[in-house]
Amino acid sequence: MSGHGGAPKGIGTRLVQAIALVVTFATLYAATRLTPEIENELGTVAAIGFLLLAGTLMSELLETIGLPHLSGYLLAGIVGGPHLLHLVDHHTVDRLTPVNTLALSLIALGGGAELRVDTLRQVAKSLRYATIVQSSFVMVVMAGVFIAVSPYLPFVANIGVVPLVGTALLWGVLSISRSPSACMGILAQTRAKGPVATFSLAFIMLSDVVVVLLLAVAMMIARPMITGVGGFSMRDVEALGHELVGSIAFGTTLGLVLAAYLRLVGKQLLLVLLAIGFGLSDFLRYVHVDPTLAFLTAGFVVQNLTAQGPKLVHAIEQRGGMVFVVFFATAGAHLNLPLLKQLWPFALTLCGMRAFSTWIAARMASRWADDVPMLKRWSWSSLVSQAGFALGLSQVIARAFPTIGDGFRDLAIAAVAINEMIGPILFKLALDRAGEAHDEATQVQRTSLAPPPPAEV
Amino acid sequence: MSGVAVLLGLLIVAYVGSMLVGGRTIRGFGLPSGAEYLVLGVVVGPNVLGILPRSMVRSFEPIFVCAAAWLALIVGLSYFVVGHRRVKLGRALVGILLAALVGAAVAAALWFALGKLNLLAGYPRLELALGAGFVGCETTRHTVRWVVERHGASGPLSDWLADMARSSALVPVLGLGVLFALAPDSPLTAFTIQARLGTTAGLGVLMGLVAVVLLGREFRRDESWGILLGTSVLAAGIAARVGLAAVATLFVMGLTIAVVSPHRLDIKMMVQPTEKPVLLPVVLVAGACVDFTAMPKIWLLVAVALGARLLAELVRGVFLIALLPAARPAGPSIGIGMASTGAISLALAFTLHVRLPGPAGNAVLVLAAAGILLGELIGPAMLRRSLERAGETHAVDAIEPAPLSLARPAFSHHAGDDEHQSPFSEPPRSS
Repeated sequence: MSGHGGAPKGIGTRLVQAIALVVTFATLYAATRLTPEIENELGTVAAIGFLLLAGTLMSELLETIGLPHLSGYLLAGIVGGPHLLHLVDHHTVDRLTPVNTLALSLIALGGGAELRVDTLRQVAKSLRYATIVQSSFVMVVMAGVFIAVSPYLPFVANIGVVPLVGTALLWGVLSISRSPSACMGILAQTRAKGPVATFSLAFIMLSDVVVVLLLAVAMMIARPMITGVGGFSMRDVEALGHELVGSIAFGTTLGLVLAAYLRLVGKQLLLVLLAIGFGLSDFLRYVHVDPTLAFLTAGFVVQNLTAQGPKLVHAIEQRGGMVFVVFFATAGAHLNLPLLKQLWPFALTLCGMRAFSTWIAARMASRWADDVPMLKRWSWSSLVSQAGFALGLSQVIARAFPTIGDGFRDLAIAAVAINEMIGPILFKLALDRAGEAHDEATQVQRTSLAPPPPAEV
Repeated sequence: MSGVAVLLGLLIVAYVGSMLVGGRTIRGFGLPSGAEYLVLGVVVGPNVLGILPRSMVRSFEPIFVCAAAWLALIVGLSYFVVGHRRVKLGRALVGILLAALVGAAVAAALWFALGKLNLLAGYPRLELALGAGFVGCETTRHTVRWVVERHGASGPLSDWLADMARSSALVPVLGLGVLFALAPDSPLTAFTIQARLGTTAGLGVLMGLVAVVLLGREFRRDESWGILLGTSVLAAGIAARVGLAAVATLFVMGLTIAVVSPHRLDIKMMVQPTEKPVLLPVVLVAGACVDFTAMPKIWLLVAVALGARLLAELVRGVFLIALLPAARPAGPSIGIGMASTGAISLALAFTLHVRLPGPAGNAVLVLAAAGILLGELIGPAMLRRSLERAGETHAVDAIEPAPLSLARPAFSHHAGDDEHQSPFSEPPRSS
């Protein structure tokens, strides 16, 4: 997920990359066809190599038509995944979970470190309005849309009005979740700087916390509506409070320890990041602390309370790139294409309405906050992406409400699949149009549009 | 012990390894063979403390197979270079032939011993004999480097020995490729043995060429890591999946890059610092997997293998003094100085143990561990004495040569060599 910076690449390089991509696919295809019955751990090793190489090459090739690298990683995973070429099977995708854990922790750490208090102050007003409007308006609209399409959704078609409203409320909360990983991925590639980039990063990182809170409240309200038993319980709120306070407290401590390490030792950061990503994530889950929020806080503390922020950001950018390629390519392989094929009309309707309501909400919030014109026009673009966070929420909901769980989760997977593919493209396009992207492809376009240098005398 | 705790422990070992490679104090620490980590592995393994149970190690086996293959890639990449200079072809050929001779002697001795003792028959017998031969014929390049750095050795004999040690790695790595191709349970049932061998090497060449063409136009560090790791992990994974030797495939891949790529020095300098951080956890885990009850009369087999090796090393010494006038003052015992087996051999034995589990694979691991310990006890001391006799050691304080791994190659024309960073290297300090 590096910026892949440097000099522009010619057609010869692209041709070589295309041939290498074909060789990569062909080699693994031959191996899987020669030994089709073997699905062991060693296949996981081959899958990691394949996803890394194919993802990198695909992203390079898609860059030529202006698509973000992230789309390339996803496409490599989709094509090589269990539903198309079957080079990476379901078991392998499941076995790659530790890579996802590592990637998510790096994303949260890096995301926190990108949030600077001074830049947050600049967009504080925009953030305030956007958070309120996006969270309320989009949630209500999407709950309404869900009720409108419910007659066509088998899992809620005949459950009655009250359970339907409860389910719609949960769908509304799911709809306001965003993708920090997609946002970070696009920003890392484009090296974008400007109001749209700053607002997007700050909003999406903060919205994580808002969505976690809203989901807890929504589940509390929806539980008696869907299950018909029990009432409102403050135990959920208490548990949530503990988790939030614990996460922030642990994140602050981790941030200070990390800053001290960076200051006093500052070596072998790859191994330190691996230890944090693999070791601490599991430990935090064990003690009921949210790893994402804890790492986000840690990154924020390092950036804003110490002088070690740039070092941490650089370390994550340099060392996390390959992890992110595998992470997104695995997400592509994970996309349930048959389910998407089955549910696409409803999923597309819901996604279309979500994007539209997000756009409306962004326009309203920008007008009230009196944003700069560029933010008024493009602030919505980063909010379309959904990925692992939304899927995680759908799993939580499915477990909590078994009567609607499977259907709800399937619809969520289909909708997230669409948002996952379209969202990054929209955000990259917006950054390009807003003139905030500084990646290679944008530089090439700018160079070609620039006036010719004065002739030497 | 949980998997996460094991992983964290291994990361700490890798951390120590990366510190060892990163400092300029390398001459003060560590044994040339990495035997201390082997012993640590035995101690934390089920034989002594039981902190690292075998079942836990088994769940991490794919990672370590991949790590062993990565080490083979590094060996392949740096196969033609010793420190500042290229390996001479004649010396390399002699090194390969003499390593093959030692390996053949060990294999033959074990083959007959196994027959006499009625311990194994058929492929397991071949596997044990050949496997022990292959993991017992290499001379670790670190032992020569160790003596050179600690005792300031220099001269024609030192250069010969360094070149021979470097080239000897070819025999065990490719030998393991042959052994895997011969395995009766190979998933590639439709392939002949020759075709399996061809696939082992062909896959390495193919992925090496893919890496070369992708890195060919311009060398960008960020992309280079993705490409190099992607191609190598893919090659290792495919080879392992179809039952072939991933170490041999990646060794060939490294050789291909070293021969074809115009950026071979950049790539070598990029991956070289990863050797110790990868190697030490592999050695530790291999140590934990050593099973002293692998088969009956294992200690007799150890004695046979080590005895055969020492005899073969003496023969190697005789060949050397016949071939090289500079070696004559050192006497045949110079061969014993070449008896230090490296951690690479242990990694190969571990790979064999994973691919072909059973008494033979376990026994090969025991023999490799015993070979390392014996080599560590006698190899460096004998080598130092031989070089003293040959008049090639000097007072080290007067010379203070830079460690080979840290010195810039004399034939490097890349002004920005120092800027090439591995994932283990440090980011620039912020102002």
